[in-house]
Amino acid sequence: MKIKGGYFKKILEIDLSSRKSRVLDLSDRFVLKYIGGRGFGAKLVWDNMRPGLDPLGPDNIIVIAPGPLTGVFLPSSGKTSFVSISPATGIYADSNVGGMFGVELRQAGYDALVIKGRADKLCYIWIDEGQVEIVENEDLKGRGSLETEGMVRHEIGDEMVKVATIGPAGENLVGFACVTADWGRNAGRTGMGAIMGSKNLKAIAIRGSQDLPVHDIKLLRELSNDSFAHLKKNPYFEFWQRQGLMSVVDYLNHAGLLPTHNFSGGVFDRAESINGFEMEERYKIGDTACFGCPMACGNINLVKEGEYAGTVVEGPEYETACMFGSNIGVDNFAFILKANALCDELGIDTISAGNLIGVLMEGCKRGDLKPDDIDGLALDWGDEEGAVALIKKMARREGVGDVLADGAKRVIEKWPALKPIISEVKGLEQSAYDGRATISMALAYATSDIGAHHARAWTVGKELEMGAEWGIEEKVDLVIYHQETRPVFDMLGVCRLPWIELGFSELHYPEFYRAVTGVSMSIEEMFSRSDDLYNLTRLINIDRGVTRKDDYPPDRCFDLPIPSGPQAGKVVNRDEYERMLKLYYEKRGWDENGVPKESVREQFSDKLNE
Amino acid sequence: MGMSKTEKKSTEEVRRKKGRPVHKRLTVVPERCSGCRLCEVACSLVRFGVNNPKKSCLRVMVAYPHPVIRMPIICHQCRDPKCAENCPTDAIEVHDGVVALDGEKCISCNQCVISCPFGAVFTHEDMDTPFKCDLCGGDPECVKICPKRALLYVPEHMVGEEHRVTSLLKYAHMREIEYVEKGERKILKYADIERLKDEDKRGILQKDTGD
Repeated sequence: MKIKGGYFKKILEIDLSSRKSRVLDLSDRFVLKYIGGRGFGAKLVWDNMRPGLDPLGPDNIIVIAPGPLTGVFLPSSGKTSFVSISPATGIYADSNVGGMFGVELRQAGYDALVIKGRADKLCYIWIDEGQVEIVENEDLKGRGSLETEGMVRHEIGDEMVKVATIGPAGENLVGFACVTADWGRNAGRTGMGAIMGSKNLKAIAIRGSQDLPVHDIKLLRELSNDSFAHLKKNPYFEFWQRQGLMSVVDYLNHAGLLPTHNFSGGVFDRAESINGFEMEERYKIGDTACFGCPMACGNINLVKEGEYAGTVVEGPEYETACMFGSNIGVDNFAFILKANALCDELGIDTISAGNLIGVLMEGCKRGDLKPDDIDGLALDWGDEEGAVALIKKMARREGVGDVLADGAKRVIEKWPALKPIISEVKGLEQSAYDGRATISMALAYATSDIGAHHARAWTVGKELEMGAEWGIEEKVDLVIYHQETRPVFDMLGVCRLPWIELGFSELHYPEFYRAVTGVSMSIEEMFSRSDDLYNLTRLINIDRGVTRKDDYPPDRCFDLPIPSGPQAGKVVNRDEYERMLKLYYEKRGWDENGVPKESVREQFSDKLNE
Repeated sequence: MGMSKTEKKSTEEVRRKKGRPVHKRLTVVPERCSGCRLCEVACSLVRFGVNNPKKSCLRVMVAYPHPVIRMPIICHQCRDPKCAENCPTDAIEVHDGVVALDGEKCISCNQCVISCPFGAVFTHEDMDTPFKCDLCGGDPECVKICPKRALLYVPEHMVGEEHRVTSLLKYAHMREIEYVEKGERKILKYADIERLKDEDKRGILQKDTGD
């Protein structure tokens, strides 16, 4: 089928070692097979696979890919994936960011950007449509993410240019360093900032002014105006603008599943001090949205008084509020804002950082760690000063921070006694949902292709509602349904929140795709592309050494029951989990060790332009 | 150049004639703007039939973090427009309250772009002439799409009303009232009443989604 819009069918490849760039043409066949975003990213990373590839070496690539719907007039079309091999997990990794960055990349005329090699000196890339410049700037060394964004804009002389940056943590190759764009939107997970840091790449600035190719403008306007009207009618719409994801704090606390004290508990007795209402009343000064998003889930907050007065930050969203709140026993929302701002500026992922700080705090409480082990810090729950110190140490690799900076795997190596209480899968620190009350969530974390991240499949709500009547098959199906649906959004370059939060049907997306590209692709075909993508990333992971033993949730899930609250006593049954994992492999068409069939491999040997 | 004072007066007289539609103005409440730029895309679609925020007749500007503000820069359809005054070819005239640029007369010198005090006349390399807001013939798309009600199209005398309401509420927020309950003197703040109201709304959280 001929593509009539949606794509430029061009990828910009920049080699920082040779300081050369070239434009790669994409065939229609390639484009329709991989769709875009994370799909393009995974394929390009797969093509770059070689034995012994060092994630932080010049041979590793980072792919920055919006999708065919990014920047288009439809709800929440501002998403871009950063794709590579993670320094912390050593396996396939991606993380996406909203804001405006991907829209600008598309307006510059590219469907994706690939960066390889390593620059001699600290530099930034400046893409002004067809012109690509590698600008050396040692003055950016050690600068914060937002500070760098401002400096690059200033140097270019255009306040509206779009910039993605890394902070000191990225330069210091911290395993969970993030990439920041548009003043605090982050591709947070899996250490994409360290990949940029390893290439001596401090920032990427883009300016573009081209029309985005849309096949049928009239149809697009009809579909989208209907969609916007439909979303506005949702009873939660206004509430979403007010609190965004911050409302999840109360939802989970009521359900008894708000990670508390390093994932040990599920109820935080001071949740009202860290929830969306506390934010609205005392700190919120404005809404912020990614491109084309009516939901405006972002909150801009300001601390007006006290120790952290003057802190301004876009955020937190739920994960950050939980990881720097209940999970480390803090009931001070101003501290959460401070920690969030600090992580943004230093360029580290708030989920991984909060998770690891929680581990150290519990380790101290249990006596697994002595203050001498951790630079003399006598940590306790709610220790704001200790947490701030640890955030800085991680980003700068000072003292104990040097161990933490390599992520969960290194922490376990250094202190094996912490293994029972550390929540991670495949080396990625678990995000802020407890898997113990809903076994499907445990399976979701364990089978996620990047490690313990909730965005691959979030099944908590559905299993809480239906679980009692369900057998293992329904639960496995639920995980696969999520793993199948969610990548579609990442491939198309749009946000999934209208779907999951406001019940905006996935069936709208084939219609948008048809209006934009002129290609009819059913939702089933999209799911099938998504399943292919899961096979592809699984193959990358198998080649990077992942085996069945890596497909398990954290030990705590099996061994340490939820102590109190509505879910008291809940823990994952090991036999049931084994049966589910076996069934999951079967349904995926993988063998008993979780390896896809040899014939699947051949499916991905195609070239970009054939 | 541009409009003489007598011409301007006659426009006002015309407007006051009975049966004329209410004269409306496009206005902005910057504090509400989330910076989503839907107004920009919607504008480019309806005006030029393309999906390109850089071909829109308004522009969302962002300052962060000190100060924090997002604001669409719009054409105010000035009564005495500087763009028209500085146009060397009289290509800009006011018709029915809309400051309109005549592409035939325009020589694309961009004088109007730099003389607009707000920067609300735009250029793009694909375009033959500068372009500016024409209020979509009286039904602006940007206002219809704005999910935050940051862009409003209101009768002229209402311009500024959103700010007046905000100012009113801020004042009410500061107020305290004294009352006696069971013999005890108490103070109630309006801000607290609002919080209680919100707590009642927590039923809204009983839903099955949440990531």
